[in-house]
Amino acid sequence: MNEHDKIRELLALAVANALTSAEEKQVAEHVRSCIACSNELEAWRPIASELRRLPTPQPSSWLVQATLARAEAKFTEQAEHDWNHRLLIIVVAFAWLLTIASWAVFHVVSGRFERLLGPQFSHTWISFAAFTALEWLAGGVAAVMLAIRQRGERRLA
Amino acid sequence: MAVDADVVRLRRGDLNALSELITRYQNRLYRYLLRIVRQPAEAEDLFQQTWLRVIEKIRSFDASRNFDAWLFTLARNLAIDHLRRIRPESLDEPLANSWHSENVADRISSKDHTPLDHALAAERRTEISEAMAGLPMIYREVLTLRFEDDMKIEEIAQVTAVPVSTAKSRLRRSLEQLRDALGARYPGGTWQ
Repeated sequence: MNEHDKIRELLALAVANALTSAEEKQVAEHVRSCIACSNELEAWRPIASELRRLPTPQPSSWLVQATLARAEAKFTEQAEHDWNHRLLIIVVAFAWLLTIASWAVFHVVSGRFERLLGPQFSHTWISFAAFTALEWLAGGVAAVMLAIRQRGERRLA
Repeated sequence: MAVDADVVRLRRGDLNALSELITRYQNRLYRYLLRIVRQPAEAEDLFQQTWLRVIEKIRSFDASRNFDAWLFTLARNLAIDHLRRIRPESLDEPLANSWHSENVADRISSKDHTPLDHALAAERRTEISEAMAGLPMIYREVLTLRFEDDMKIEEIAQVTAVPVSTAKSRLRRSLEQLRDALGARYPGGTWQ
């Protein structure tokens, strides 16, 4: 591709102001001496000019109001979701803390059960697992009930 | 790049900032969506969805980056998903009922003085908007971003998720296709 062809490819971009300064300089120098490219550049100008002057369609005022209303609802919902998320993290951390702390308690208590039921069962572990399962089950039920209640409140709102 | 104060406020959860941003971007965003989907009802729905997406994602947005490009990228992704779902063929093909639904009065610029100037200007804009509506989506998009939104090539590349060189060649091809379309639609006109 010779220089003339290269410059010709840049003419459309020239009217779109999308050339680098080096390319702009190249085009300017070339069109000064090339009538064909100069005419081609002039032919592009009305298209670029009319594209810049196309009317901007306006969104209706209700659209902006409706968007704001929906956005506000979304904002509130998201803030609530974030708060619930933080609360959940705290509850889970607390539950684990409680579970670990309860180990010491069961270690003491299970000594008696072990003597009553025989040495074949490791009651320390069974009791610990049962207590942990109960804790998590209670936590899960509470979370589900809370979610159902919140959904109901949201429907009523 | 200066950090947009409204964007920073929105990241902190200030709803007034959202109102400011919607007001500031409403015309540009709506026009961009309308150019892509060409149906006002769909553009309105996507307009709302875009702002809801902004709320969802604003915390992950780096406020020192270009908010315009980020906003238009969100809008673009939603619009393309919508077109893929509703009318996959429309990503490449023109629609009979195009987006240029403004009346003649809307098309008249204050720079056109006499009634004849008004009529001629309106006619030229009708021609160019009809020809533009007939282009594939990627070309309509790049034309509106460059000429109507006045975005730089780098910003267009960011919005359309392509390298700068691709954005540039896409812009060139879109102009060439537009000129060809004008020549084919209005032979003997002043566009060639």
